[in-house]
Amino acid sequence: MKENARILVVDDEPQLRRVLRTGLMSRSYDVRAAADGLTALDTFNDWHPDLVITDLAMPNMDGLELCRRLRAISQVPIIVLSAKGEEQTKVEALDIGADDFVSKPFGIDELLARVRASLRRAARPVTNGAVLTVLEAGDFRIDLESRNVTVNGREIHLTPKEFDLLTYLMKHAGKVLTHRTLLTALWGGNYVEQNEYLRVFVGNLRKKIEIDASGPRYLLTEPWVGYRFDPGA
Amino acid sequence: MGLRRWLSYLVAAFSIAALTTVLKLLGAHVNATTVALVLLLDVLLIATRWGSLPALAASVLAMLCFNFFFLPPFGTFIIAAWDNWIALAAFLITAITAGQLSARAKRRAEEAEVGRREIERLYSEMQDAFKLASHAEALKQSEKLKSALLDAVTHDLRTPLTAIKASITTLLDEIRGRTKTEPLVALDAESRLEMMEVIDEESDRLNRFIGGLIELARIEAGEMQLRRRWGAIDEIISAALLRAERFTRDHNVHVVIERELPVVRVDDRAVSEVVYTLVENAAKYSPAGTSIHISAQRGGEGLIQMSVEDRGTGVPVELRDRVFDKFFRATRDGDISTHQPSGTGMGLAIAKGIVEAHDGRIWIESGADEKGTRVVFTLPIGDEDPAEMLKTSVAGNVKT
Repeated sequence: MKENARILVVDDEPQLRRVLRTGLMSRSYDVRAAADGLTALDTFNDWHPDLVITDLAMPNMDGLELCRRLRAISQVPIIVLSAKGEEQTKVEALDIGADDFVSKPFGIDELLARVRASLRRAARPVTNGAVLTVLEAGDFRIDLESRNVTVNGREIHLTPKEFDLLTYLMKHAGKVLTHRTLLTALWGGNYVEQNEYLRVFVGNLRKKIEIDASGPRYLLTEPWVGYRFDPGA
Repeated sequence: MGLRRWLSYLVAAFSIAALTTVLKLLGAHVNATTVALVLLLDVLLIATRWGSLPALAASVLAMLCFNFFFLPPFGTFIIAAWDNWIALAAFLITAITAGQLSARAKRRAEEAEVGRREIERLYSEMQDAFKLASHAEALKQSEKLKSALLDAVTHDLRTPLTAIKASITTLLDEIRGRTKTEPLVALDAESRLEMMEVIDEESDRLNRFIGGLIELARIEAGEMQLRRRWGAIDEIISAALLRAERFTRDHNVHVVIERELPVVRVDDRAVSEVVYTLVENAAKYSPAGTSIHISAQRGGEGLIQMSVEDRGTGVPVELRDRVFDKFFRATRDGDISTHQPSGTGMGLAIAKGIVEAHDGRIWIESGADEKGTRVVFTLPIGDEDPAEMLKTSVAGNVKT
């Protein structure tokens, strides 16, 4: 059996560190905990965890700064724990490069699900250098050369922008993508405030890929934050 | 206004006519110079009272009367002597000039009055506006404060809730045996116990927090009912130390109480709460094995001064006022290695409320050798009523 995945938990609340350590260890993860961002960076450098779970409000370097520092040195998946009232900070964390978030208070199963998804995504083979011609995940298959897209074997026709959007979503499946991230990726930095562009394209794309566009299964809305793409089983 | 103006001309004309008549009746007793001066005086009065135009009219009329009745040949407008021409001209010019001058002075005075009123009005308007603005500013500040407090409260409520929720779902997961994707390693007895301990401790923390909130709200609403009675400081301190025992086990606690300290008229339970809070803080924020000093002594006229001192890291000078703000915590946790639940951020705020309700004062200074923290507070000994003092202290003795 392969080595257990290592998870670094960063929270200034001792009780939450206790609970997360126990909860995660019961699922065979190796866990270490840090009480603030600075300690977390030290542990990260020594221990090289596979995933970081961090609180946002902490003394001695908050979660936001920790995300920034981690992204500067690593692509490790980061899940932020956020509370209501910290939405702005949460979005900033995601913009900086955090992969996902869980809102407090949370059930351990919800956190575990996010942990699994993030680890899966990180484990996907990185296609360094090799030219990727076909993206396949869940119910979706995108042929980047012929621009042929199928959902569950059913061929769909997309406009060039919709195609770009879906390709981007596929490449970042499972990850929470903020409005800003998507707008920058698809239209460039001048359009970061134009959320309505995005809404229109997401709406159109849903009509084509979803069975029920008003109850989407694949292209999910993260209220006030952005979107998450779940390619299905 | 029109009526008033006609009246002024009428009065002017009448007064000149009346004076002329009186002067004429006096006949030989007055000479021309006296007549001229008297008429001039009248013109001046008219100018001061009615302004320049009636004064001008009066001076022309006065000149005519002077000429007709008092300059020879009498009864005609003919002037015989050449020097009388000069006198008449001088009269007219003086009358007009005096009239103009006094009218101008009057106008100035009126303008000044209008100006003064305007300034007064502007000033009061400005004051109103200022009041309004500072009121709005105060409101804004208090709104800001409120939302900051709300943030703090929700954080302090949600943190224990998060720990409870995560613990209980971990336990539930195991019981339900949900092994969806990854193998669930059964929780060992120790982990299970730990989860339950967390739930227990965090529910207590929630309860403490809510209790503190209620206490604070009472103090802030000024509803704190002090049950003052005469009591001894050493009893108050020992009651507090007894309660705080579980925190101070690993510390060396020293109590120094000045001898023959008078009894104080305070709410002993509330003051004991203050001492308890300070001792608990001292124990929480200083390493095990260090000492905590508690002292009580006379502190100036009619005051008892008490202090609790630790050998911890101390409170930076710039935070010494803020630690008394509700929900403010200099450090968010106790020692990280201990599983000490963190404070509610309300203890010192409540302590301050209690001390101030007794008309006392509370502050923080550095401990001996500039190390650690010393929290000092004063309490007035109480109403000096020896008879009652004797009575209650006797009653107290009987009770004990």
